[in-house]
Amino acid sequence: MVKVYSFEGCPYCDKVKKYLAARGIAYEVHDIEENPEDAAECQRISGDLTVPVTTIDGKNFVLGFDKKKIDELLATA
Amino acid sequence: MKERIHKDVIIIGAGMAGLTAALYCGRMNLDTLVLENGIIGGQIANATDIENFPGFISVKGGDLIATLQQQAENFGAIIDEFDEIEHVTLKSSPKIIETQEKIYECDVVIIASGMNRRKLPLPEEKKFAGRGVHYCQLCDGAAYNGKIIAVMGGGNAAVDAANFLTKYGQKVYLIHRSEFRADEVSQKRLRANKKVEIMLQTEIKALRGDKRLEEVEIFDKKSGETKTLHVDGIFVNIGVVPNTKLFEDELKLTASGRIPAGEDCKTEIEGVFAAGDVREKEIRQLTTAASDGTTAALLAEKYLSKLKG
Repeated sequence: MVKVYSFEGCPYCDKVKKYLAARGIAYEVHDIEENPEDAAECQRISGDLTVPVTTIDGKNFVLGFDKKKIDELLATA
Repeated sequence: MKERIHKDVIIIGAGMAGLTAALYCGRMNLDTLVLENGIIGGQIANATDIENFPGFISVKGGDLIATLQQQAENFGAIIDEFDEIEHVTLKSSPKIIETQEKIYECDVVIIASGMNRRKLPLPEEKKFAGRGVHYCQLCDGAAYNGKIIAVMGGGNAAVDAANFLTKYGQKVYLIHRSEFRADEVSQKRLRANKKVEIMLQTEIKALRGDKRLEEVEIFDKKSGETKTLHVDGIFVNIGVVPNTKLFEDELKLTASGRIPAGEDCKTEIEGVFAAGDVREKEIRQLTTAASDGTTAALLAEKYLSKLKG
């Protein structure tokens, strides 16, 4: 399952979610502002709390909105 | 091979000017496509409280833009924020807009590509970008909960960012090399916040840190003193640059990189209009961007009617 670490009101987080939806890809939203566990996990994955962070396996991730990199990440699934 | 598609009007940029043009074009039944390489709303998507748009006491930029997007789409405009533009040919007939996935032909192009944030002009910027140096407080502000934050700049965007970031930071410095340019109302709000320390006539000379930003070197122009300030993150709001790189080979640009066009938004090329902040003009506000979008759309329709006989 694709996971998007994000928070409400973040424009690039919304763009990632819209892109995944447009491609018909199901994803889980992990809100780093609402859930401290999600914030800790986001920091573990990317080393920082800058979002959006998109990941499938919790190891490889894409920071921000980068269509090419997200497509590459999805191709690994 | 890329698919070729014809449109009446292609609008480049989905900020206030572009979406207003899309709304008007849609209402005139023009086959309209809006292409956006960044985020829908442009600069305004980042604005937390807009208090100078007529008809609203206060509105979030994202909410205002979402409504406008809905309005434009309700009248048939298509907005694509994922397919990035690679090349434009404006002097030909039809005009050609090539994206990563498609080749669009169209009769009218409305350029409403707006402005991008100016990058921090220090050699360390690249090292710390995303690791303490940020340009979007809405995206990255939450990473600084309980931390020490600096905002660089003295205009409305900087003051707005500083006000917003007090939600997270235990302390927020506003550092600006000269005097405030922001509205009095916003300045007053910022000055009243106990978390905020305002440092005017102060320049940031260097950024330091191991893996991420840890401190900045500042120079107080009044006292001539150089000091080191511990900060966890800095949000840069030192102005904007016109987003016109795509058009450099097609249109003459002004010294500031904007597109020369009069109040009718017509450029030197027939059927090509420039609207919003990308157009060379004295006043650049949200309201004037909406005005440009309206003008460009209405005159685009006149041009198309003449073209099609």
